[in-house]
Amino acid sequence: MTKRPDSIEVEGHVVECLRSAMFTVELENGHKVLAHISGKIRKNYIKILPQDRVLVELTPYDLTRGRIVFRYRN
Amino acid sequence: MQIMRVADGIWHALEDDLVVGRGHAGRRPDGRVFVSIDAWHLTGFDQLAEAMLAALPAPLYTLVDEADVELASGWQRLGFTVRRREWEFAVPTDPCVTELEAVLPPPGVTIVPVGSADEGLLRALDRTIRAEVGAGAGWQSMPAEVRPRPAGDTIVDPTRYAVAAAPDRYLGLLRLVTATRQPRIGLIAVRADSQRRGIARALLAHVLGTLDRRGIATASIEVDESNEAALALFEGIGSRRTGSSLELAR
Repeated sequence: MTKRPDSIEVEGHVVECLRSAMFTVELENGHKVLAHISGKIRKNYIKILPQDRVLVELTPYDLTRGRIVFRYRN
Repeated sequence: MQIMRVADGIWHALEDDLVVGRGHAGRRPDGRVFVSIDAWHLTGFDQLAEAMLAALPAPLYTLVDEADVELASGWQRLGFTVRRREWEFAVPTDPCVTELEAVLPPPGVTIVPVGSADEGLLRALDRTIRAEVGAGAGWQSMPAEVRPRPAGDTIVDPTRYAVAAAPDRYLGLLRLVTATRQPRIGLIAVRADSQRRGIARALLAHVLGTLDRRGIATASIEVDESNEAALALFEGIGSRRTGSSLELAR
């Protein structure tokens, strides 16, 4: 069976769209992270806008950065 | 770092028991295979790419935000080149900005609101338009977004279309997706023998006016950079370029 460690995924909402295809996302605990969108979201033409509720995967190297892996329907 | 193919079309990069990168490959409805890689560092990206490119047949495609210079250069380093560019627009709905308030369809043409189109006439128009423009600039990529259906039909949800109608047939269509807070114009097209009559502007006037009255200030659309008519149409009503996507191929 394939070993597949859990990633750190947290819900939040998009506060700001930045340059360089980055977004500021405020997590449920109030922390803000810098996030880019995942390739799967980009491939599916899903647009991310301020106020969107999203699921962010945090990098194990730096908990202030992440990637948006899912956008919830508001 | 260990690269594992964990399922059909899915690769993981593992480091110290952590997934530090993911690669995906999926086939679009038009048969083209699109790949993507999400890695937390360059080594993960490169190693995932090496494994995926070795396992997948060419040609391969990917989409990147042009502003994401690091990701775009990563793919280009692997031999991917820019195949096409799409501009993303924010389209205003306020008639004071679009100056579409007084725009009416040409004589003999009426606008059928979103959700009210006759399904048979709509499907016939869709087939006609796609047959006419299939080889045209900016359209060769369109099948990527539509699922082929019997007899060349590409209408998935007829309730998303507004149409321009003559007494005996439909002349133009506009597909509006309203699943999110910002509606998206997925397609606007007029059959060849009815172009240059203001039908596309009339469709926009109707649909954008409806959104404005519902309190929605902006819609979005993506336009291929080679589609000069569409660029002129949307820039002419005050649309603002908000970004661009690159389709890369190898």
